[in-house]
Amino acid sequence: MGKPTGFLEHERQSIPDRSPLERIKDWKEIHEPFDEDKVRQQGSRCMDCGTPYCHTGMTLANMASGCPINNLIPEWNDLVYKGKWRDALARLHKTNNFPEFTGRVCPAPCEGSCVLGVIEPPVTIKSIECSIIDKGFAEGWVTPQPPARRSGKKIAVVGSGPAGMATADQLNKAGHLVTVYERADRIGGLLLYGIPNMKLEKEIVQRRVDLMAAEGIKFVVSTEIGKDLPAKSLLEDFDSVVLCCGATKPRDLPIEGRELKGVHYAMEFLTINTQGLLELKDVTAFETAANSKDVVVIGGGDTGTDCVGTSVRHGCKSITQLEIMPRPPEERADDNPWPEWPKVYKMDYGQEEAKEVFGEDPRNYLTMTKKFSGDDQGNLKGVIICDIEWKMEDGRYSPVEVQGSEREIPAQAAFLAMGFLGPEDTIAEELGLARDSRSNVQADYGRFSTNIEGVFAAGDMRRGQSLVVWAINEGRAAARECDRYLMGETSLP
Amino acid sequence: MGVGTVAAGVAKAKADVILVSGYDGGTGASPRSSIQHAGAPWELGLAETNQTLLLNDLRSRVILETDGQLKTGRDVVIACLLGAEEFGFATAPLITLGCLMMRVCHKNTCPVGIATQDPRLREKFAGGADAVVNFMNFVAEEIRETMAKLGFRTINEMVGRVDKLELRKAINHWKAKGLDYSAILHRPDVGPEVGTYCQMKQDHLLDRSLDNREILKRAMPAIENGQAVNIDLPVINTDRVVGTITGAEISRKHGPNGLPEDTVKINLAGSAGQSLGAFCPKGMTFTVTGDTNDYLGKGLSGGKIIVRPPEDSPFVAHENVIAGNVCFYGATAGQAFVSGVVGERFCVRNSGVHAVVEGLGDHGCEYMTGGLVLCLGKTGRNFGAGMSGGVAYIYDEEGDFVSTKLNTEMVKTYPLVECDDHEIDLIKSLITRHVEYTDSPRGIDLLNDWSSAAEKFVKIMPEDYERVLFALKKAEERGLEGDDAIQAAFEENVAAGH
Ligand SMILES: Cc1cc2nc3c(=O)[nH]c(=O)nc-3n(C[C@H](O)[C@H](O)[C@H](O)COP(=O)(O)OP(=O)(O)OC[C@H]3O[C@@H](n4cnc5c(N)ncnc54)[C@H](O)[C@@H]3O)c2cc1C
Ligand code: SF4
Repeated sequence: MGKPTGFLEHERQSIPDRSPLERIKDWKEIHEPFDEDKVRQQGSRCMDCGTPYCHTGMTLANMASGCPINNLIPEWNDLVYKGKWRDALARLHKTNNFPEFTGRVCPAPCEGSCVLGVIEPPVTIKSIECSIIDKGFAEGWVTPQPPARRSGKKIAVVGSGPAGMATADQLNKAGHLVTVYERADRIGGLLLYGIPNMKLEKEIVQRRVDLMAAEGIKFVVSTEIGKDLPAKSLLEDFDSVVLCCGATKPRDLPIEGRELKGVHYAMEFLTINTQGLLELKDVTAFETAANSKDVVVIGGGDTGTDCVGTSVRHGCKSITQLEIMPRPPEERADDNPWPEWPKVYKMDYGQEEAKEVFGEDPRNYLTMTKKFSGDDQGNLKGVIICDIEWKMEDGRYSPVEVQGSEREIPAQAAFLAMGFLGPEDTIAEELGLARDSRSNVQADYGRFSTNIEGVFAAGDMRRGQSLVVWAINEGRAAARECDRYLMGETSLP
Repeated sequence: MGVGTVAAGVAKAKADVILVSGYDGGTGASPRSSIQHAGAPWELGLAETNQTLLLNDLRSRVILETDGQLKTGRDVVIACLLGAEEFGFATAPLITLGCLMMRVCHKNTCPVGIATQDPRLREKFAGGADAVVNFMNFVAEEIRETMAKLGFRTINEMVGRVDKLELRKAINHWKAKGLDYSAILHRPDVGPEVGTYCQMKQDHLLDRSLDNREILKRAMPAIENGQAVNIDLPVINTDRVVGTITGAEISRKHGPNGLPEDTVKINLAGSAGQSLGAFCPKGMTFTVTGDTNDYLGKGLSGGKIIVRPPEDSPFVAHENVIAGNVCFYGATAGQAFVSGVVGERFCVRNSGVHAVVEGLGDHGCEYMTGGLVLCLGKTGRNFGAGMSGGVAYIYDEEGDFVSTKLNTEMVKTYPLVECDDHEIDLIKSLITRHVEYTDSPRGIDLLNDWSSAAEKFVKIMPEDYERVLFALKKAEERGLEGDDAIQAAFEENVAAGH
């Protein structure tokens, strides 16, 4: 470590955001450029702990603690502090195929477990990660590195989200010929048609896709396996198949009025919006658009936040976000100690923008949606909600309505962002894949092999809705197992 | 391993406590290689030690202690069954205080305020003694539960009952195959007359010491009234730690500053036993005409020690050994003038003594952190290893000291003649005093031809120490004083990445 006293001298500073009122006028990333010297200063805050946690990727209390892909954080922090950017980049790429994605969208479980976090705000690991790779691209250090030798083995990867991309990248590095099939018209999975531009500009996804294509990976878009091409044909044409189809089946809200015009799945809203932007269309002209409407977002997670940010950019009339859970505490609760993931109140970008525009945090906690009300044309007109309390019943907590709290809030658009149930059934049924109790494709973590020989599964499709960083973790590891299956041994990490 | 033999030896030599310290413990400040790869498990050493002590009927007069990552009541019970009755804990209680195993104990940057003097970090300390007490209660409770299961009422009953240890069947790791544990789990067959735990105190025979027989009572006028005394006595090599009991009384009465220089003069003739003058405070002056054994002036804390051959001795002082090994180990203050060669490990961990000798053995000044060593003759190899402070001057007659004797890892060298006049004068005056005290012929020769002798002195200066001294000087020039100046110098060095 370069500087033992760095953390005593400098305060934490992450990549700064543009002001909310400024940034909602466009669809660009919310960040401002970050001065290189500042990043180096931030790197010096790393304490190079004797017993670090930031890179561990443990699961504590069901949440990630430490980086799930085991990024060599203290090492590149130090290299950045010393100004050895190129070495830092090499160190970062050792464990992370796509730091430009995680550096932007990762919730950074590394920072939650950073030892400095015990006494002070943690090292701004994610910003440093992002700065390293951005500098790498800016300096032209990131260039295609096609494998020196080819193994002659052919592999099909289905799905081009972060899991599929990571698998493809690793298998290609090992010398196999990889073809990635994607049903959408572009590569990227939820990186593209899920996470909005404000968090991750789409040129950044495409830049990596181009790089991988230049390294010899074949991308086939607009081809849905199971429909446009039978899954069985992949088993015949390829030596192995890795399935990374995500957990795309959204959770529905089967209550009265669900069929009304104006009630949409969040993903519908977000996908159409991103597609429209990519095709340079007026995104406020779509039927799903939120402009001039009272918008209700049901669900308080990342997807909900993205709906809020998108609605604000459309120019919605009002915005309300409904969350069934209580508001998290400002500081770690006693039962949530370091190095667990800190379950604390955070203001994400979408809420921050809504607050600037409408004066308050759009989130309503401990509320439940009872029904949608419509007008006689079948258009959504309002959402009927109530407050709830969590009560212990038969040994588990369940929500109980607070008497007399029912009320209607006006809404012409409602977006359902209540998470995802699991992968779609098409491929699983065609191939007869075993599923686990949560309907995910059954494959043990670490081995990733399904019940069908030569077929592997990784990412959200295997573990259920999760994070980009876990998708990369699984994609890499599944590639390793696939390589071992094909070659009898493997040198992939 | 032989640790049992050593233990039997020290038990006979009146050790009160024998500690078998296992390899898995140790400070977080040590290098990773040492943390992981040095030493052996306490289980092995403890079993062997206990067995040897029992076989020689020495067990009942010593306390046997062990440590090395003991963390649970179960660990304690196992250690007890293997023969220990005292148990050392460090890591676990530290963790209960908030230690995060940062391994920066030596850097003043402990973020949880435990191993640091930095007020900003000490403020972060969120632990408290209660946590340690609580932890220890749990440990004790677990011990008690296990004892109940085993049918023991007291720790004493349990000590060494290896018959109560059972090998776990579940260990079928391939590395465990073919291992024979019977030597560790062996219980020597000794009769009921042999005590199996500490049952009596060692008789240290202190009443027979030279101090209790003579020196202390003759020094009483000095201790009580500060009156100068001169004590002339013969000495033989069974007179160990001569002066230390008297020194302790002086410290007790007069505190760390002791008495004015030369208040208690002890003049000994003969061959002194080990540890002459150990820990003695200021105000005590020993003049030994003859020679001394090992550990001369160990931990010296301000006293003055002069050793010289008898006037009529026929041999050449600077070619003959006059004092044993490990002299002035860990000394913190005082002066020494030794007219002759000393053994190995001279002034190891010295932090303040100024010593003049005429030759020394291997590993001189190892881990020295302060003070001054002036050697008027040859040294052994590996001089200055790990020397982080203090300064040494060597009369390098043959010009091969730096190339063949010095460990250069942490130190720089300068010819004395390139140092400033003030420093050259200091060396000359030290030699002058050495001659005054010891009539050293070597000293006389050097002074007689000082201008050419000075040419042959080499100064040894630890690099880090030099830099800190420089920073300190700068801080003082800026008007800082005392601890503030030291802190500023420390920070300047840390900021420079050292
Ligand atoms: C709105 C939203 C915001 C999010 N924000 C974040 C965030 O900020 N940070 C974060 O870490 N995570 C976030 N996530 C979660 C993250 O995006 C996912 O966990 C991650 O993308 C999963 O990667 P994956 O590769 O397993 O699957 P996906 O990214 O879902 O990719 C699966 C791909 O497979 C394709 N596919 C499916 N079936 C077939 C088929 N039969 N044939 C061909 N192709 C098929 C799909 O079209 C899709 O492109 C967010 C998720 C959503 C929905
Ligand atoms: S990928 Fe996520 S968890 Fe890992 S270092 Fe980057 S921000 Fe932290």
